[in-house]
Amino acid sequence: MITAERKPMEELIECLRPYHRILLVGCNECVTVCSAGGRKEVGILSSALQMAFMKEGKTLDVKEITLERQCDPEYVEELVTHIDQAEAVMSMACGCGVQEIAGRFKSKPVFPALNTTFMGASERQGVWVERCQGCGECVLALTGGICPIARCAKQLLNGPCGGSTNGKCEVDPDIDCAWQLIWDRLKALGLEDRYEDNIAAKDWRTGRGGGPRKIIREDLVK
Amino acid sequence: MSFQKRLISGEFVVLAEMNTPKGVDISELVTNARRIKGRVDAVIVPDMDNGIMRMSALAGGVLMQQQGVEAIIHVYCRDRNRMALQGDILAAHVLGIQNLVVVHSEEMAKGDHQDSKPVNDLDEVELLGAIQSLQEGKDMAGFDLTGKPAFTVGCTIAPSGDDAALEKELSLARKKIEAGAQFVITPPVFDLDHFSSNMNSFKELGVPILSTVFLIKSVGIARYLANYEPGAHISDDLIKRIRKASDTEMECLRIAGETVAGLRNIVQGVHIITLGWEYRLPEILDYAGM
Repeated sequence: MITAERKPMEELIECLRPYHRILLVGCNECVTVCSAGGRKEVGILSSALQMAFMKEGKTLDVKEITLERQCDPEYVEELVTHIDQAEAVMSMACGCGVQEIAGRFKSKPVFPALNTTFMGASERQGVWVERCQGCGECVLALTGGICPIARCAKQLLNGPCGGSTNGKCEVDPDIDCAWQLIWDRLKALGLEDRYEDNIAAKDWRTGRGGGPRKIIREDLVK
Repeated sequence: MSFQKRLISGEFVVLAEMNTPKGVDISELVTNARRIKGRVDAVIVPDMDNGIMRMSALAGGVLMQQQGVEAIIHVYCRDRNRMALQGDILAAHVLGIQNLVVVHSEEMAKGDHQDSKPVNDLDEVELLGAIQSLQEGKDMAGFDLTGKPAFTVGCTIAPSGDDAALEKELSLARKKIEAGAQFVITPPVFDLDHFSSNMNSFKELGVPILSTVFLIKSVGIARYLANYEPGAHISDDLIKRIRKASDTEMECLRIAGETVAGLRNIVQGVHIITLGWEYRLPEILDYAGM
């Protein structure tokens, strides 16, 4: 999922200070799962904003809506009936959702309520960890199913750096050394020989090196 | 007189561009530098221009200085993060380089290492700010330096196809000047009349303006630029002149020389790009009467 965290209240209040009526839009997908921007969080932020405005002797009329997916134009279209009543929109989706709304309603100011963080997985209740950087050329088949691009601080493709100590990363002792994990996993699979294989310098064109990316599925394009 | 002094005193400056080799054979670079020693005020050394991996501009700049030719080196953000940029800029000062130009860097996709990962930790305005900060004795993290570097720092303006694009570029140039750029290099000039018509806008920038003179080497290049380079303003007459010339190469050198001479009364300097024909720079300067 795409994970995100809510921005500090002061920053959100500052964005909305010039307005009296806003649309606060949540998203039912990733940000609901990581408890950052779903229906529940929309309700909590709405109350917090209104209280903050009241403390300043002002009022803020907040219309709360949570879309099935903010990154999908079909669902964003549901805002059409509400957009005119609002002076601005605050989106509680990831950056994709914010941009989808801003692209659809060009004359309306749209503000992000979240800091989009990474593509990750739930490690345990309330803890999410980075697992993928969307590099466009997956190497997991070579590395025992553990990604050195997302999980190694230096994105090393051929073994650990000199800073790995007792299976931990030099960047932070709470971070597992990705190459220790890869070694352990290859060993468990009886594939230690793989560790000796040289992985060629990565072609970063498939990642951000080639600029903003696009997928076109000719069989689906209408 | 140094490039900086000529710039400050309002003297016309002539700069020539010379690329470093793709390899370690520096004989051609050094020979070309010797050919124009005393005839240009400084040599601009690009750093992996057009995304082509070459010897670094820092090494090229030092080689120029060793030949007694003042160097101006390119710095840009595609290949180095803020640590490497600052380190190389300090090194440049220590090695005798006194001039920098902060330039736009070509996309990796257009270079010869297309699978490489671009850095782009900073942008041009931020890099100019970092150079300014280093000159004030602080690095980008705010730590004090032991000894401050000093440079004459320039920036560039990208080509623009129409007035709106030009205004956007001028607005960006104003930001660059505010961040520390002391001179501006314009895109190639092929049409002196058209360039002159925009000169008031350039003058309003309030810093010396140097214009690029790009040596057109063939009719094909002239046609390509006319068709694909926004705002190149290459006229049919110019293309016809090259096409009809009995000696095309000579005619191209003459055109470049005439452009240099024509710019003398319009801007404060020229930056001559010859892309592989550096050995013919003396002839361009002859045609320019310099």
